This record gives sequence, structure tokens and C-alpha cells, in this order.
Amino acid sequence: MTWVRGIGGLIGLAIVLEAVPRSGAVSPLYFPPFSTIMVALAEEVERASFWSALGKTLESWALGLAIAVCAGAVIGIAIGSSALLRETTRSTIEFLRPIPSVALIPLVTLLFGTTLKSNLILVVYASFWQVLIQVLYGVQDVDPLARETARSYRLSRWEQIRYVIWPTTLPYLMTGVRLAAAVALILTITAELVIGTPGLGKELFLAQTSGAYEIMYVYVVVTGIIGVIVNVLARALERAVMPWHSSLRTEAMP
Amino acid sequence: MRKSGRQMVGYFALAVCLALAGTAVVGGQPGSAQDKITVGIIPITDCAPIFLGKQKGFFAKYNLDVNIESAQGGAELVNPVVSGQREFGFSNVSSLLIAQTRGLDLVAISAGASSTGEQGRDFGAIVAPGDSPIKNAKDLEGKTVAVNNLNNIGDTSVNASVRAAGGDPSKVKYVELAFPAMPAALADKRIDAAWIVEPFLTITKEHGAKVVAWNLVDTSPRLMIAAYFTTRKYAKEHPDIVKRFQEAMKESLAYADSHNDEVRAIVPTFTRVSKEMIGKSTLPRWPTEMNIKSTQTLADLALKDGLLAKKPDLDAFFKLP
Amino acid sequence: MSSDRAIQIVRQMALAMGLPALLFVAWWISSSGSESIFFPPLSNILRTFADVWFSPRIMHDVVPSLVRLFIGYLSAVALGLALGIAIGASRRMRQVIEPVLEFLRAIPPPVLVPIFMLFVGIGDMMKMLVIISGCVWPVLLNTVAGVRALDSVLEEVIRCYRIGMVARLWYFVLPGASPQIFAGMRQALSIGIILMVISEMFAASNGLGFSLVQFQRSFAIPEMWTGIILLGLIGILLAFIFRFVENWMLAWYFGLRRSQRESS
Repeated sequence: MTWVRGIGGLIGLAIVLEAVPRSGAVSPLYFPPFSTIMVALAEEVERASFWSALGKTLESWALGLAIAVCAGAVIGIAIGSSALLRETTRSTIEFLRPIPSVALIPLVTLLFGTTLKSNLILVVYASFWQVLIQVLYGVQDVDPLARETARSYRLSRWEQIRYVIWPTTLPYLMTGVRLAAAVALILTITAELVIGTPGLGKELFLAQTSGAYEIMYVYVVVTGIIGVIVNVLARALERAVMPWHSSLRTEAMP
Repeated sequence: MRKSGRQMVGYFALAVCLALAGTAVVGGQPGSAQDKITVGIIPITDCAPIFLGKQKGFFAKYNLDVNIESAQGGAELVNPVVSGQREFGFSNVSSLLIAQTRGLDLVAISAGASSTGEQGRDFGAIVAPGDSPIKNAKDLEGKTVAVNNLNNIGDTSVNASVRAAGGDPSKVKYVELAFPAMPAALADKRIDAAWIVEPFLTITKEHGAKVVAWNLVDTSPRLMIAAYFTTRKYAKEHPDIVKRFQEAMKESLAYADSHNDEVRAIVPTFTRVSKEMIGKSTLPRWPTEMNIKSTQTLADLALKDGLLAKKPDLDAFFKLP
Repeated sequence: MSSDRAIQIVRQMALAMGLPALLFVAWWISSSGSESIFFPPLSNILRTFADVWFSPRIMHDVVPSLVRLFIGYLSAVALGLALGIAIGASRRMRQVIEPVLEFLRAIPPPVLVPIFMLFVGIGDMMKMLVIISGCVWPVLLNTVAGVRALDSVLEEVIRCYRIGMVARLWYFVLPGASPQIFAGMRQALSIGIILMVISEMFAASNGLGFSLVQFQRSFAIPEMWTGIILLGLIGILLAFIFRFVENWMLAWYFGLRRSQRESS
């Protein structure tokens, strides 16, 4: 029943998007009707350039996300399990974290131009913090009793991490992955849009530069669809790893 | 050995010789083999010649394996060339002059695109909504004019039109707006006028806008709006490649200028401009020689309008080391 | 002040300042002889900082950017709260609208910049719309989650006592959902800063993002670096202010969590 209502909502949106341009309230040239966009979409997916752009976006997203997740997990666990490191790095993390990665766009464009590296720097910089913060919360959430027990059994550092810290941190890490996945996609597409690295964002820009407004909207729709898929997959992954946590969690709070 | 055996050996030897000769031609000595170069361009009609030239084999003829990369905007084309990521770039002349005054040692090596020089038929113009009270460039005083980049060729050339019509350019209010957003902004009267280029010129005229002045024509006869460039360092280290690039570009430009139909066929392949739209658009001119005089005019005007901090060195700009 | 306490304070300050100071010095040293155009010496950058920003540029660029951020952010919060409470309260409404919201929020806000440009032009309205379009989602979704998670027993009690809508909102819904709402507002703040910068990189005649791009385009590299640093400082400052406000408003909640943690 719920999904029927959901479909109804989507159909309602489509109807609005169809009716408004046709009514003349907004010039159809600048906001084509929904059906025109869908037709353009069908034509667009037949072009090789579409799939190549999609592949490039996904490549940049996946690679950046992977790097951010690995770095965030490793550094997070390392910092989190030592009180001294936590104290020392706290101010640095609080300093660096709010710096908007988009401030680096001009610099990165100068250094790396329209290559994958530009994308990766922006994506990794932004996504890393999402993972790190969540992992830090996770490590701090470890049951002190379990930690003490592990220490009295003289488990090595590595064993402590593997048997005590990791299981507790995992759900937090998954939340971090979900947040990072969304951020990574946004930054990838932003980089493509602003800098011009190959990908969906660049195709959108190209369509806009050429005055092909319908194709521009096609790419808006496509990025939305990709975003939805990424969110759904990330949430499914979170659920698969820790079924009982995900329904309660949007983001770990202090 | 029997006769057929000797023939076999002979044929075999011949085959080996041919193969060796073939590799010598294709991958043999450095310098005369296919040199890989990367050229940065903007995905607009102006850059059609290089695509056409590559397609027709002009670059291959000069043993150049040219890789064409497209970028997001005029100014963003200079940096990759300066940093060595690309050998050559396409950029509008004003951006290149600005870069030079900022200490970047660039040298222009080939014309990129030019205004048609004809009042009434150019690929760029100042437009206003059809029912606007603006009748000529002098009426732009006190009005908001959109250009795609501030402190660049847009305001320089619009200022020239205003002066030519007897007005005071300092009274014009410039705002920056990307070309694609200009038709909508004009139709909704959010701006009073705009400097606009194809294909948006055609789009906006189809939606009722009128041309107020042909600013590129007013600035200088056959104004060279863009050029291909490289760094002096690269030109010094690879004079041969630069020379071959120039020759290949000359042929490509001449071909594009005289085969507009093929230009109109190739533009949809590297842009998203539809065949229909490019059919209706006015094409720029593609001269084989660089227009030093119009560049001088641009520099003088930019200096006068306060858009340049100091005078560009045009000798250095055009002279190869 | 006892010497123990003094030592403790010094130690805390050393820990807090230690690593940042080290990194700063490392940057200074490694860039001091630099001839690279793109990585000028830190001393150059800092010297240019005052020239660039302590000038009319504050009024011309910094203030308009921050004002737009402020207005956009607050509008997004108000909108997100209003919609979030409405949607969170009605299960049916949520089911209908959820897929639509999922799709709309998945569109990266920078992608909407060209679209907004077409509709509302180039001025402050466009930039504020972009900020709103990105900031509203975390607030909205977190509000919905917060409203959903309200204590149902408490809700029943309120209904029994026939407490009016406004009082209900003010004493039950908002306080109950506020930890979630603040989490959303915090995400929205970082998104807002990002969008403030991006919206000005496309088409603007003033602003921080605009300055950054203009510096890059005219190859004024040290000035560009000062812009990056300034944006970082603004991000830090706003995060700090937010945390201050959050601690003040959610003091009851943090205290509760702390006591729960300590007792377990």
C-alpha cells in the first residue's frame, strides 16, 4: 500500500512538470515539459557519450569514496583508540573539518586541470571528514568493560582492534559511508560542472553552453536518479551490516 | 635451391624490408615521426577548424597526433598550458593579454577566430528585448548590460560600440552572466541588454530580441577574437613542432573558412548545438594570418578602460623565440 | 589558582594548539623558498591577506556573501521545519511524498544553478535559492525523523489533555525533535557554506566565491590563497558559533546523554 502512495506522489510530480511549461506560465524553451525531457532522455541513452560520461562519474565517485572510507576508518580507529592522539588532534580536526572543499576548486584546477586527480582531491577531502567523525564516535562508544577485559587478557593492539573496537565501530562506519557516498557524488558532479572533468556534470555544462536546454534537463534528471540509487544502495548496505541500528540512526550525535 | 624456393626467400626478404621501412616511417626517428600534442579548446563553433583539420588529416600530414581536449571557459585554458599539461591552447585574445600582464610569458601562434567585420551579419552582437527603448549603443548609458566575463573582451567591445555611437562607456553597468542564461534574462527583462554570441544570438532573435549594435565590428575591422597560443618556453624548446602546428592550423583555418557546410556538419559532433541551430547561426571568419592591428586596438582600449593594469608587450606576444 | 590547575590549563592549551602550530610551521618552512607560481611562500600569502581583505572588499564581497548565507540558511531552516513537521506528523502524507523528496534531494544543488539562473537571473535571489535548495533537505529529513521518533506515550497524554496545536508544537514537538533537528541544521550549515561559494562561482558581481574565481582567472595566486584561507576561517567561525548555540539550546539533552553514558 505504501509504495502505491509513493508512486502516486511521483506521478503527481510528473504531471506538475508537464502542465506548468505547457500552460505558458514559464517559457517552454527554458523549462521544457516533462514529456519532452523524457523523449530527450531516451535519445540520450543511445549515445555512447552518455555512457562514457556516466562511467567517468561513477569511477571518480567510487574511487574517491573508497579512498575516503579507508583513510577515514584507519585514521579514525588509530586516533580514536588513543586518548593522547584524540586530544592532540581534536583542535586540528575542528579547524580543518569546516573548510569547504569547494574553496579548493580554483587551486585544484590550476594544479591538475580536468583530470581525475582534481575530482579525487575534492571528493576525498569532503568525504573523509564524514567517515572520520563517525568512526571517532564509534570508537568512543566501545563498551569500557569490554575494552578492560581485552586488556586484562593481554590481547595485542591489533587483536583489540579486531575483536573489540571494530565490531562496535562498524555500524558507525556504515553511517559514515552512507553520508560520505552522498557527499562524494555531489562533489564529483560539482567538480565536473565547474572544472570540466569528464562526466555527467560536464555533459550538463556542454548542453547548457550549446543552448540545448532539453539535454541539460536530461542530465539534471539523470544526476537525480543516480543520487537516489546511491542513497538506496548505501542504506541497503547499512541495513545489511547492522539491521537493528539503521532504523534508529540518521547521524551519530554527540 | 629450386626456383620456387628462391622466389620464396626473395618475397620474404622483400616483406622484411617493407616492414622495416614501414616502422621507420611510422615510429622511427624522433622529430619527424608523429608527435603527440594536446590542444585545449572550448566546445564552441569557433573551434571547428581544428576539428575539421584533424578530420581531414592536415595535422597528420605534418606528423602531428593532435589530442583535442575541451575545457569550461576561456580563462581556464591558459593554466594547463602554463603548467605544461597541454602544449597548446585556444583562448580569447583579451584573456591572453591579461595573462601576459600578469607575468605569464605566452606567445600567440595562430589565429583562432575572427569577427566577420560586417555590420548586420556577425556571430556576436549587443542585443536588447524587442520592445526595449534602447535604439543604439549610446542608449546603453545607465543600463545593465550582461557580458559573459567581466573585464574581458565583452566590456571592451561594448565600450567601443558605445563610444562609436557617441556615448560614455563609464555610464554602462556591466554584470556577468553566462551566455546560456542570457536569452531568458532578456526575455524576462532582468537585464536591459547583453553581448551575446551564437547560437544564443539566433535563439534570442527567434524570441523577439533585436540587435542594438555589432560590437565586435565596432571595435576593430575583422577583429581577431581568439587565438591559439603556447608558452615561450615550449616554443623555444620545440620550434619545429610549433612551426608544423602553425602550418596545419593555417590549412585548417583556410579550409573551414571556405567550406562552411562542412563546418556546420562537424560542429554538432563536438558540441551539443543541433544541426538545425548551426544551420541558422552566423559563422565567424577564420583568417590564416593573425590580426596584430586588432589586438593592438584591444590592448589600447582595455588599458584606457582600466581593465588592464599595465600595457601588454605585443612584440613579445606575437614574436616566436 | 593552584599550580596543578595552571599546569592543567597549560597542558590543555598545548594539546589544542600543538598540532595546528606544527602544521603551520611546516607549511611556512616548506614553502619559504618556493618559486612555484601555484604555491607561493606562506609569508607572501599572509602579507597579502591584509591588503586583500581589510579593505573595501569586506563590504563589497564578504558581507554580501555572509548576508546571503544567513538569509538563505534561515529560510531553509524555517521551510525545512515547517514541511518536516507537517510531513512527519501524517503517515499518509509521508508515504506519498517520500519518493518525490528522495529524488529532489538527490539532485546535487550545484546542478540547479544553471536552472535557477534561467528563472530568477543572476542576482542575490539566485544565490539564496541555491543555498535554500541545498540546506532545506537535511533540516527537513531530520525534522521528519525527529517528529517520527517522538515519544508516543507523551503524545497520547497530550491528546488526552486536549492541548492545543500551538502549545503542542512549542512544548512537545519542537523540544522532542530538537536534537535531531539540530543535527540537521549542522549539516545544513556546512552545505550552506559550500553552496554560497558555488553559487558565486558561476555568475556574480560580488562575493567570496566570485573573488576567488576572479583571482584565479587573473592569475593572482597569493590573493587566491588568501581567499581559501579566509573561507576556511569563516567555516571554522560559523561552526564554532553553531556549536555554542547548540550547546545552549540543547543543554538539557547533552546533560541527559552524559548522565546516561556515565551510568552505564
